[in-house]
Amino acid sequence: MNPELSPQETIDLTRRDFLATGTTGLGTLALASLLNQDGLLTPNATAARTDPLAPKAPHFTPKAKNCILIYFEGAPSHVDLFDPKPKLNEMDGKALPKDMLEKVRFAFIKKEGVRLMGSPRTFQPYGQCGMELSDLLPYLGSCADDIAWIRGMHTSQFNHHPGQMLMNSGSALFGRPTYGAWLNYGLGSESHDLPGYVVLTAGRGSSGGSSQWSSGFLPTTYAGVLFRNSGDPVLNLSNPPGITAEMQHLGLDAIGDLNKLRYRYVADPQISSRIASYELAGRMQTSAPELMDLSSESEATKKAYGLDRETPKIKNRGGGAGTYETFARNCLLARRLVERGVRFVNVLHASWDHHSNLNNELPFCAGMCDQPIAALIKDLKQRGMLDETMIIWASEFGRTPLGENRTNRSGVTGRDHHPYAFTMWMAGGGIKGGRIIGESDELGWGVVKDPVSAHDFHATLLHQFGFNHEELTYRFQGLDFRLTGFEGAKVVKKLIA
Amino acid sequence: MKRFSLFLCALSLVPVAGAAVDFTREIQPIFAKHCYSCHGAEKQKGGLRLDAKSAAMTGGDEGKVIIPGRSSESSLIALVSGAKEDKIMPPKGERLTQQQVAKLREWIDTGAEWPESASAVAAVKSDHWAFQAIRRPDVPNVAGATHPIDAFVRARLKKEGLKHSSPADRATLIRRLSLDLLGLPPSIDEVDRFVKDKSDDAYEQLVDRLLASEHFGERWGRHWLDLARYADSDGYEKDRARPYAYVFRDWVIRAVNEDQPLDQFSIEQLAGDLLPNASLAQKEATGFHRQTLTNTEGGTDKEEFRCKAVVDRVNTTATVWLGVTMGCAECHSHKYDPFTQREFYQLFAFFNDASEKNIPSPRQNELKAYDSATAKWKAEVEKRTSAYSKWKQDKLPARFQKWAESTTGPSTDWKQLKPTKLHSKSGATLKQEKNNVVFSTGKNPGTDTYTVETATDLKRITGVRLEAIDDPSPKLGPGRSRDGNFVLTRFALEAKLPNGKTQKFTLQNPKADFSQSKFNVAASVKGLKTTGWAVSPKKNENHVAVYEVKEKVELPKGTKLTFRLEHYYKTTYLLQRFRLAVTDSSGPFLPSSVGDEVATLLARKPDDRSEKDNQKLLAFYQGNVDAEAAKLRRAIDDQESKKPKYPPTTAAVIVAQPNGRKTQIHKRGNFMDKGDEVFPLTPAVLHPFKARGEKPDRLDLANWLFARENPLTARVMVNHIWKNLFGRGIVGTIDDFGTRGDKPSHPQLLDWLATEFPRLGWSRKQFIKRVVTSETYRQSSRMRPELLDQDPLNYLLARQSRLRLEAEVVRDSYLTASGLLSRKIGGPSIRPPLPSDIAALGYANSVRWKASTGADKYRRGLYIFFQRSVPYPMLKTFDAPESTQTCVRRERSNTPLQALTLLNDPVFHECAQALGRRMDADVKSDDHRAKLAHGFKLCMSREPEGPELDRLEKLYDRQLKLAASDKKGAAQAIGAKESDPDLARKATLVALSRVMLNLDEFITRD
Repeated sequence: MNPELSPQETIDLTRRDFLATGTTGLGTLALASLLNQDGLLTPNATAARTDPLAPKAPHFTPKAKNCILIYFEGAPSHVDLFDPKPKLNEMDGKALPKDMLEKVRFAFIKKEGVRLMGSPRTFQPYGQCGMELSDLLPYLGSCADDIAWIRGMHTSQFNHHPGQMLMNSGSALFGRPTYGAWLNYGLGSESHDLPGYVVLTAGRGSSGGSSQWSSGFLPTTYAGVLFRNSGDPVLNLSNPPGITAEMQHLGLDAIGDLNKLRYRYVADPQISSRIASYELAGRMQTSAPELMDLSSESEATKKAYGLDRETPKIKNRGGGAGTYETFARNCLLARRLVERGVRFVNVLHASWDHHSNLNNELPFCAGMCDQPIAALIKDLKQRGMLDETMIIWASEFGRTPLGENRTNRSGVTGRDHHPYAFTMWMAGGGIKGGRIIGESDELGWGVVKDPVSAHDFHATLLHQFGFNHEELTYRFQGLDFRLTGFEGAKVVKKLIA
Repeated sequence: MKRFSLFLCALSLVPVAGAAVDFTREIQPIFAKHCYSCHGAEKQKGGLRLDAKSAAMTGGDEGKVIIPGRSSESSLIALVSGAKEDKIMPPKGERLTQQQVAKLREWIDTGAEWPESASAVAAVKSDHWAFQAIRRPDVPNVAGATHPIDAFVRARLKKEGLKHSSPADRATLIRRLSLDLLGLPPSIDEVDRFVKDKSDDAYEQLVDRLLASEHFGERWGRHWLDLARYADSDGYEKDRARPYAYVFRDWVIRAVNEDQPLDQFSIEQLAGDLLPNASLAQKEATGFHRQTLTNTEGGTDKEEFRCKAVVDRVNTTATVWLGVTMGCAECHSHKYDPFTQREFYQLFAFFNDASEKNIPSPRQNELKAYDSATAKWKAEVEKRTSAYSKWKQDKLPARFQKWAESTTGPSTDWKQLKPTKLHSKSGATLKQEKNNVVFSTGKNPGTDTYTVETATDLKRITGVRLEAIDDPSPKLGPGRSRDGNFVLTRFALEAKLPNGKTQKFTLQNPKADFSQSKFNVAASVKGLKTTGWAVSPKKNENHVAVYEVKEKVELPKGTKLTFRLEHYYKTTYLLQRFRLAVTDSSGPFLPSSVGDEVATLLARKPDDRSEKDNQKLLAFYQGNVDAEAAKLRRAIDDQESKKPKYPPTTAAVIVAQPNGRKTQIHKRGNFMDKGDEVFPLTPAVLHPFKARGEKPDRLDLANWLFARENPLTARVMVNHIWKNLFGRGIVGTIDDFGTRGDKPSHPQLLDWLATEFPRLGWSRKQFIKRVVTSETYRQSSRMRPELLDQDPLNYLLARQSRLRLEAEVVRDSYLTASGLLSRKIGGPSIRPPLPSDIAALGYANSVRWKASTGADKYRRGLYIFFQRSVPYPMLKTFDAPESTQTCVRRERSNTPLQALTLLNDPVFHECAQALGRRMDADVKSDDHRAKLAHGFKLCMSREPEGPELDRLEKLYDRQLKLAASDKKGAAQAIGAKESDPDLARKATLVALSRVMLNLDEFITRD
């Protein structure tokens, strides 16, 4: 790479190179005559070369090609789902040793009078690996040997939005690219008629809105595109009222022709990429609705994902009517998107912040996601796609082994934010399933073995996609930024070999 | 052997004593040989330098390294001796010998004597181009180049064997200038006039006209707002709206329009609050640094996010005015540029004492409306007051006379009650004072029931009176709330008869001398928790309530009365002093503190009343009896309560705190891990800093930025402007003039411009005029074959650049071409229509997006409400900055989402409909080819070429057939009824408008 150029400029230059000297052997001399020749800019010939999302080779041969990130905002309780702690149950109602309490910060808990809170859940081991999961996750249990369970996650952030930004973009600050954007920047997209980074949401809005799928300082080309649950799947996908498909088609043809005429005059290669993007837009208008249309899926598949389930009624927070159906559908859509070459799919749900009513709301949320996620893993596996598709269960942190005794709230029915130890998992894309990595202490408080930071997790993920995390960089404000920050990160070997 | 181990032991950090060490002969050579290469004038790794006494004694990022007299506590010794396994100095190359280490220890333990003469000047040296002083270069002598810019550019082109392109044609020029200076395409009239204008100074006149337009402030203000990270909401999870953020936006627009010189413009934004007699506008300017994010998520540490905001202020200031990145120095000394972590926190110290304030900042129109409403209101108050005065003069005497003569006694004979037993249910202390007054003191339990037992001689009770007695202190009142109020939620009475039975009484028809709005005395018998009898705002007076007793029963001798006074409204609203009385008179009872006295006076025959008696009675009559007086007073009170509210608009500003915060280095950027204390100072590698007074402040910093010796600010500022006119800066890395940034493509030109801008008095308009009148700016943007090969990125400026329009300008161009644009300048931000599920993406569906209506629907893109967590999708799709940090350069991406937005977004479709109508209406004939040509010119500011018009016409013919066969669709497309006889033709024009509005040329500045 030319060291003076930003990657975007390099891409632009490559594009210009093509026209000037490029791979087709067209030299400068040939250009002048080409400019006068119709058909030079036939979209398909140039699209691949002018599109910043054109597929690119990473640093080394990747194991994974696509990624499905299942992100639970609010933070699921690790001690009620993934990490059984008999000692915690034993010490239920007891105080935490004073020296432990002094060193920590809480979001809401008052240190005075706070007590440990055991889990009412029952746990049982699953699979060869014997991963113990709570009674809330029986379906995931049936996939235990496909999953690498990371019990040693920890983070430096204990507020949601900074925590989410750290987990999704490697920095607690607003405004950095999320890793879906990094992967599209590094690898391009294999899809010819869909965006490379798609976001699916269920339930209520998320904290920080679209910052969760932002391209930050990377060009907006790499940002996540939200697929909506109502109306057009993509904003402005449909023609305005009264504009038929045929009219649109005629219009697009004319736009293409007139842009080519303009190109003859100004000779700016940017026009060819404009033409290509209009062509892609036209194709998206057909492919996106086709993607969303599940009628080609068998009843058995739909049932396996749990599309037939109704959302149970719940008082408190949950996600409102249709949350179960939408989440199940999003898991199925994630597979369909990956099938169509979409690089990165983010399935998002945001109602896990169980400061209270843990014992009602956690079963609701776990019930929502357990079956569809397990179905997704099995479906991908059965189709031979799991090897190249990485699935991630992520959250910004876990929840305290302490009960939350917030001022002005009667009763202790929930847990506060807990950054010191929590559980995430990865499967597929070359991740070694059936492993339990890391260990939290006997209360589920801190990590005692094989800690994994957000940056370690990112470094490992990038490694699976063929990148040395220190070399996938983007120059911004004078610094070569990378997903894994500057504090040091390591690839977690136990996850991959 | 023993001696040797002792020596080893000594090595490990026990003080040694000995003869004084000669620094120059014994110590400095060690530093020079082993340390200077990393800790000298060129580099200061870890923020440490050892060639200058003051710097060495101050220490590095981690604090002091030399503590005179205490070698065991001096980390210098620990580092060079290898006491820390993972950290030994020097890390590479020859280590210090044991003897050298011992010498260093000895030197420190004997006081670390360091003669001033043996010290390098603490200046930091750098030979990097951008840190060298700016000198105005001579303009090269290039044949045919009359404009200095052209001379510089052509000299360089000549070296490469290249030439300038020919000038752009006039239509292109006016479109380019209008888009660059105003962000709006020109009207057809303006194009025609300019194309036809053959006068020599036609171009210059055009430039002057555009610079004088108010839209110039919008266009160049928006450029500045990118730097300011301007937005209309807080950011982070909750992302609350900032409804008055626009005050700063409007300040910028106005300052740019008034062509405030850039130095003053900058100084006001950085330190407007510190200017002598700062005006409101100068305070508003400090809103620049209030554009930082605010995290109101539950459970956050305020100090953490305050520090983050201050860090952002430092980074933004450094990026915007110095073109350097200080960001990494937050956590450690800069790896590439000569900025230490200590210097970062010295800059931090300038901003650390600034507090965030929101000050009233009414807009002109608001103030006008307020003033006129206040005048009207005041006039009405005066009118009603004088009506009352007139009534008092004209009517009162006669009415009083009549009453006084006809009224003798309501012989209410109140008997004060002496309590026999006092009880508080919740733990207040009730005491009996003289004159039968009860006093509640001790702890305030929040809510309470007082029980008062008394005896009475009366045979029956017809009325009860409760006096709430004011506290002698002017700050306290009859109640125990902080402001002296009380809320009596229930007042009840029962009697214990001697036979042991209980007689309950019903208290009815309560009257009070005064009741607080919504806390009428009538509520005091109801026992609700939401209201009761209260007396605000008359909290420093005695008050009286009287009640009639419904049950007419004989009370045998020995009956005991029990009063219950309940206080269950919120908390603390207990009575403090009160007195009870009963009567057997027939009533009606008057709720007046003077009641007893009045009763006595009225009992006298009219003739027996003295003048003084009559005065008292008059006051009583007027205040308590006369219904007309009450009505007139109420009319005044009503009006008083309608006092217009002062406009709520506030400006977000920063204000220096007199007792500023102490600033300490945050070790590794962690705000809880504090290192050395530091004081405001600028980086040593740059020009010297001078403070006005003893304590350097932000104003000194701002002045320092615009000091003549500053090598950076002028270069950086001209580069910002250059980028906006050519699509890239002379220094491509606009935010990084440091050693890792691009080198300038035209260093001499950059320096010439950097001297020219201050020479023009920092006038933005003059400077822009200087640039746009160059031939370099005016050349054609067509790509020439040889340039594609030699200079595809147009570093050398052998042509102008073709630039896709910025997000806001795309919208503005649509609105202009379609004729829908509202040209209103400034005011609150607007919200174009948005599907509800998009707004709902914000935190817990908290983002309220109420679409603007009327002309506000068609306002320029820069007025769109910027919700940081849910930015308006069109802006984001077209690369508007996220406004989370300063943005010096926007991307210009090209995506299918952009195509979908322009083709299908309802806002843009509405523009297509309007453009269709416009080309139909403007061209009166039936000649559709002429209509198409007109539409094309409205969009592209030029006539279409033959082949272009042919292609449009071909589409016209085909669309017309389609439209004719689909009446319903056609009607929908133009938003008309199917009965419209001209439907197909109109729909076809809309379809053609869509095509023109989607051409690459339309959203490109050529």
